Amino acid sequence: MSTMTPPVVMRKRRTPWKSWLLFLLFAGPNVALLIIFTYKPLIQSLQYSLLQWNIGSATARFVGLSNYSNWFTDPTTANVVKVTVIFTLVTVAGGMVLGLSLALLLNRKLRGTGMARTVVVAPYVLSGVAVGLLWLFVFDPNFGVLGAVLKGIGLGSPDWYNDPSWALPMIIIVYLWKNVGYVALIYLAALQAVPKDLLEAATLDGAGPFASFRNVMLPLLGPTTFFLSVTTLLSSLQSFDIIQAMTKGGPLEGTTTMMYQIYQEGFATGRAGYSSAIATILFLVLLVITAVQMLFIQKKVHY
Amino acid sequence: MSTSPFANLSRRQILQLAALMGGAATLAACGGPAVGEAGGAASEQATDWASVTPAKEITWWSNHPGTSKDLESKIIEDFAKETGIKVNLVTAGANYDEVAQKFQAAAGSSNVPDLVIASDVWWFRYMINGQILPLDKLAAHLDFGTDDFNKTLYNDYEFSNSHWAVPYARSTPLFYYNKAVWEKAGLPDRAPKTWTEFDEWAPKIQAAGGVTPLGLGKGNSWTAWWFCNMLWGAGGAYSKDWTMTLDTPEAIEAAKYLQKIIYDDKSAVVTAKDQVADFGAGLTGCTIASTGSLTGIIAAAKFGIGTGFLPEGAKGAACPTGGTGLAIPASKSPEQQLAAGMFLKFLTNAKNTAYFSSNTGYMPVRTSALEGETMQAVYAKTPQFRTAVDQLAGTRVQDWGRVFVPNGDKDLTTALEKIMLQKGDPAEAFATASTSIAKSYEENVKPYLKA
Repeated sequence: MSTMTPPVVMRKRRTPWKSWLLFLLFAGPNVALLIIFTYKPLIQSLQYSLLQWNIGSATARFVGLSNYSNWFTDPTTANVVKVTVIFTLVTVAGGMVLGLSLALLLNRKLRGTGMARTVVVAPYVLSGVAVGLLWLFVFDPNFGVLGAVLKGIGLGSPDWYNDPSWALPMIIIVYLWKNVGYVALIYLAALQAVPKDLLEAATLDGAGPFASFRNVMLPLLGPTTFFLSVTTLLSSLQSFDIIQAMTKGGPLEGTTTMMYQIYQEGFATGRAGYSSAIATILFLVLLVITAVQMLFIQKKVHY
Repeated sequence: MSTSPFANLSRRQILQLAALMGGAATLAACGGPAVGEAGGAASEQATDWASVTPAKEITWWSNHPGTSKDLESKIIEDFAKETGIKVNLVTAGANYDEVAQKFQAAAGSSNVPDLVIASDVWWFRYMINGQILPLDKLAAHLDFGTDDFNKTLYNDYEFSNSHWAVPYARSTPLFYYNKAVWEKAGLPDRAPKTWTEFDEWAPKIQAAGGVTPLGLGKGNSWTAWWFCNMLWGAGGAYSKDWTMTLDTPEAIEAAKYLQKIIYDDKSAVVTAKDQVADFGAGLTGCTIASTGSLTGIIAAAKFGIGTGFLPEGAKGAACPTGGTGLAIPASKSPEQQLAAGMFLKFLTNAKNTAYFSSNTGYMPVRTSALEGETMQAVYAKTPQFRTAVDQLAGTRVQDWGRVFVPNGDKDLTTALEKIMLQKGDPAEAFATASTSIAKSYEENVKPYLKA
């Protein structure tokens, strides 16, 4: 026994050291990338948010929290927040409902579902800028397809490009068209994993299609719904490409979300410090929302 | 029992991890601007240009104004033949704003070009950021012939006794009309001399063919440019030096006139997307567009195109200049700067100015080019080209509140869109813009201006 003891002690010391190396070997490259491309910019953005810095200038002035107070007191902020909230709520909720409906349709054993699945998912893999430019042709009040169709049934085309209260719905429609395929795809996978016997049992107990969807399917889809609510919310709050391609935040800042404002203040007007402050605020909002989702909603999801 | 490597971390390893995190934080602190006193514009360097040998290769960032990529390439080719200096032409954006965004983002990196597009709303910002070189000494050394530049166009780039760019693709807004529509309405073959005359003509145009008489453009870098015409014509201005003057009765009156022709007379419409395309498609009888669009408009239209001065207001003719100049970045080596200066001189010599102008519609920036054979031949064949040049005599430098304050143009565009698209109260819209611009001046410009 006494001869056995020293090696055990040695091994105890050696193993963790080796695992530590192994950890570095596997996680190191990823951690390094995260540090350089995620945490470094994050910290830097925090630092810039305390500066008055015209982008392009080699110098900047420290101004404390005045960028933050400027944003909260700026007359345009209320509108930006409103646009952001409407855009996010409608795209997330709309995307989930539409995506689930599509997934339910695609989950049926009908002729052509393979083709239909491809068609539904295709827009998701397209570039947002290309999608935006194409839809501009559709919505054009003078020359667009949509305008022609509406004219055909005796209606005029809404002023999608000049009226902020139409421009935002336009952006939302295009965003949903592009991204609903992703939601449908994830839901479809989840639907196919729903055990058949549970549904059969429900049917035997006398549940109609709606009742078995509501009481069996929906709860089983809980984890998927939770996952999608987090990911679609994050991507919706960060969406940029379609807005840039279609409206550039206009008309009258009617499609300027916080994300778009960050770009505009940082690069178009060149107030990098102010832009960083908005970026930090958006980051905190995302952090809080995600934390709330994790803490409260996750508890209610049944796995 | 746990196999997690973290569970077995010793204190030393935790310290190592902490050091790694600390390293990341230190790394994050690198780069970006130096924090301290405001910097400001670059000063005239004491470079003895005579002792500098020009670099063999330079880079030029352009957006090829007026689809001029082929023209620019041809001039570059000729320059290489003459001097042996290679110029790399880089498409740095689709418009002035995109080039400017890239140029500002590249500051401090090794990717700064040797020559860059500097438009009317951007050169000043490049200057206060210390990004561009004052050109007077270099121009004197290279014997640029700056006297030959059109005075207005060259002095657009003057601030605190230095010139910060050289005029290149310069334009003014121009009044374009559809000759077929004019004829049908029984109007004389010319642009309306005043806005009052436009108001008299508009019902005839409406009666003749169901087209909306005037199409107006919207959006940043555009709306607040052509509105200078109505604003100045009414005797108003965006600003006087750094003080906003949009609260004057003249400014309000100009905005009310704009609302009158859109909402009461319905003789003007704000385009959905592109006023030039709408005009080309025959949806509107006339429009205001840049001279730089001239070649494109003539080529695309299925009807005769007439051009004229922008209509006069109660206080006379009023037209801003616009377009872009070229600037040399301050951060490059004297060798690069000298080579860029040589190319700049070549690019804007009388021959190349005429070549560029006659193929795009931009104004010839040199008096000698204007009077030269090439341009005279162009004017004889296509008299529309002449309009912008003639109009130049009545132009004036833009108001600082729009072009020199970072969010000036954007805030004014928002105000004007509120006025045009939503019939918003002009006084209120202008007041919002003025407050914002004045504040931005205090924060983003004033500290960087050298006394």
